[in-house]
Amino acid sequence: MRVLLIEDEQRLAENIVAALRETGLAVDYALDGEAGSHLAEQGVYDAIVLDLMLPGKSGQRVLRDLRREKIHTPVLILTAQEGKESIVSLLNAGADDYLSKPFDLGELLARIKALIRRAKGVSNPILMVSDVELNTVQQTVRRRGQLLDLSPTEYRILEYLIHRPRAIVSKQELLEHLYDFDWEHHSNVIEAHVSNLRRKLNIAGTEPLIETLRHRGYRLRDEIAVL
Amino acid sequence: MRKSLSITRRLTVTVLALEFLSAMALIGAITIHEWHVQLKAFDSSLEASAESLMGAVQDAEDEGDNVMLDMRGVHLGKNAIFRVKDERGRVLGSAGEPPSLELPSSSEHVFHNMDISGRSYRFFVLHGLRIVDPGEPNGGTPHSITIIYGTPIGHVWHEVIESIRFFAIATAVLLGVTALIMAWSVRAVLSPVNELAREAERITARDWHFDAPRSAKETVELRPLAAALEAALARLQGSFDQQRRFTNDAAHELKTDVAIVKSSLQLLSMRKRTVEEYGQGLALSLDDFTRLEMTVQKMLTLARLEQQPIENSRSGTEFQYCSLRDVIEDAIHQSKPLAELKAISVVFECVADAKVPIDNRDALLLCSNILLNALQHSPNGTTVRIAMTVNEEAWLTVEDQGEGVSDEDRAHVFEPFYRGDPSRSRRSGGTGLGLSICKAICERAGGSIEIENRVVGGALVTVKLPVKPSVSIRSSSALLKAQ
Repeated sequence: MRVLLIEDEQRLAENIVAALRETGLAVDYALDGEAGSHLAEQGVYDAIVLDLMLPGKSGQRVLRDLRREKIHTPVLILTAQEGKESIVSLLNAGADDYLSKPFDLGELLARIKALIRRAKGVSNPILMVSDVELNTVQQTVRRRGQLLDLSPTEYRILEYLIHRPRAIVSKQELLEHLYDFDWEHHSNVIEAHVSNLRRKLNIAGTEPLIETLRHRGYRLRDEIAVL
Repeated sequence: MRKSLSITRRLTVTVLALEFLSAMALIGAITIHEWHVQLKAFDSSLEASAESLMGAVQDAEDEGDNVMLDMRGVHLGKNAIFRVKDERGRVLGSAGEPPSLELPSSSEHVFHNMDISGRSYRFFVLHGLRIVDPGEPNGGTPHSITIIYGTPIGHVWHEVIESIRFFAIATAVLLGVTALIMAWSVRAVLSPVNELAREAERITARDWHFDAPRSAKETVELRPLAAALEAALARLQGSFDQQRRFTNDAAHELKTDVAIVKSSLQLLSMRKRTVEEYGQGLALSLDDFTRLEMTVQKMLTLARLEQQPIENSRSGTEFQYCSLRDVIEDAIHQSKPLAELKAISVVFECVADAKVPIDNRDALLLCSNILLNALQHSPNGTTVRIAMTVNEEAWLTVEDQGEGVSDEDRAHVFEPFYRGDPSRSRRSGGTGLGLSICKAICERAGGSIEIENRVVGGALVTVKLPVKPSVSIRSSSALLKAQ
């Protein structure tokens, strides 16, 4: 999952980015409204954390423009301003959640994850597809009760695919949602990770859970066809 | 006891009292006039009656050519008293008991007032000549007749009192009507006052909006009051808004700083880390905390500077003085690292030193804040020029070669937390309190601070401070000695 942070306070942005990356999210950040708005409108993010007082373009305008562009990425507002009115008007303008500064970093992470989950149509932090169980809190994966040892990237690929069962997910889409701009990424890397993941998920005598569709991408089956 | 004044009551009472007094004066004048008129009429009727009595004196047709009184056809007033005598003292006729009045020999008409058996009478004495048989050759026999005639004067009094009563009743009615009209009209006239009060009553700490009602603005007497109220409220609202803005900005600033410190520490404690990571994280957290501390420090400084003038004037303590030149040199020394980092040369031109009424710590704060501000807004490799001149005031000017200030910003740069950017970006450094602190220091010392753009580009900050008087005298005497 990939998150965009728009926050002009450099030190705060650094801390939030570090925390988000440590929980396995890809993060891009912008230090002003213009750049943030530009990034947000690319539509590759699964959640956006938006400060209100921004140089260049205010958070309110960033949000308004985003919704006008019909981009429905969940937005969490960070604010140090007092007053309930602005929160009400922000929620009415299309924000999904808010936290006031100074906030708890753990709460911010939990809220971002909840926002991503809900945007994907899931409310339970434990995701299930056929006999695979993915715990987004502990970041663990079990198949038929058996704990699987996945690398962080493999976990993230699986998490993304589980959110989109039966759909064909292109390599490009995986790249966009799993890596931020700070990563050197090549589609070969994805291929290697997917093949590792497929191997780890595999149980003898069943069809592979992740299908590879040549030139199109990957698909997660939600029913296991017994061979 | 509370003393309460009612304009309505005062006005009404004043008008009624004036009206009453003039009515009294009028009644007095009318009484005198009426008395004269009635007395004149009374006297004429006395005269007429006496004349008719004289007419009733007839020839007695006897041999002595005497006269007699023939009362037929003579109508006299009620309760009339009279006596008719001839020259020999013979009473020809009388009614009642007229007093024996000393009769003037001349024939002038004389009136006398007298009390007869408890009643006031007015008498008229008439001397007349009746000639019996005037057709006779000897010209007839003349008889000198004296008539004393009087009637009670009570009638005159009665008339006068009647007219007084009429006027008194009219006055009372007039006073009553006036009181009613006054009560109504004064209330109507004072209604703008009430409207003004009602409008003023609506002012609360939340809603400062005050618009004097039109009726009050149209009333000449109320116009200054309405204008003063409006102006006072506008000023109050201005300072309230400024305070509220300061509180909001301060809260925003502190919250942001606290958020940074908190997130730094929470990030560090998210999972177990290596000793190096902990060390690095703690160093960063300490930096973040230092910034929070700096913000708090500056807010406290500003608060101290803004409240001290009151204490000073109350306790009457004298200002401490410091040498401005030494302080500027200290400030330049302090800011050397930043100047060197940006390769900015700082030039200081100073002819004479001046003692200014600021203590050392604040003076250094003032100078280094201005200097740091200039350095921050200067491009690398430029020059910041500081100059000091001393006349009646000490003038300190700091010029930089930066982008200068926009006209919009110029009005606000000395406001707390103003950063020349609506979003209040903090990347330019500083807390946004530096120039506010400078302004507070200057104003407390009785000086001023201004910022403007130089024609050639860049900003020019001018500080004007009062100088300790004895110093300038001493320096001029030293100058004389040197000559």
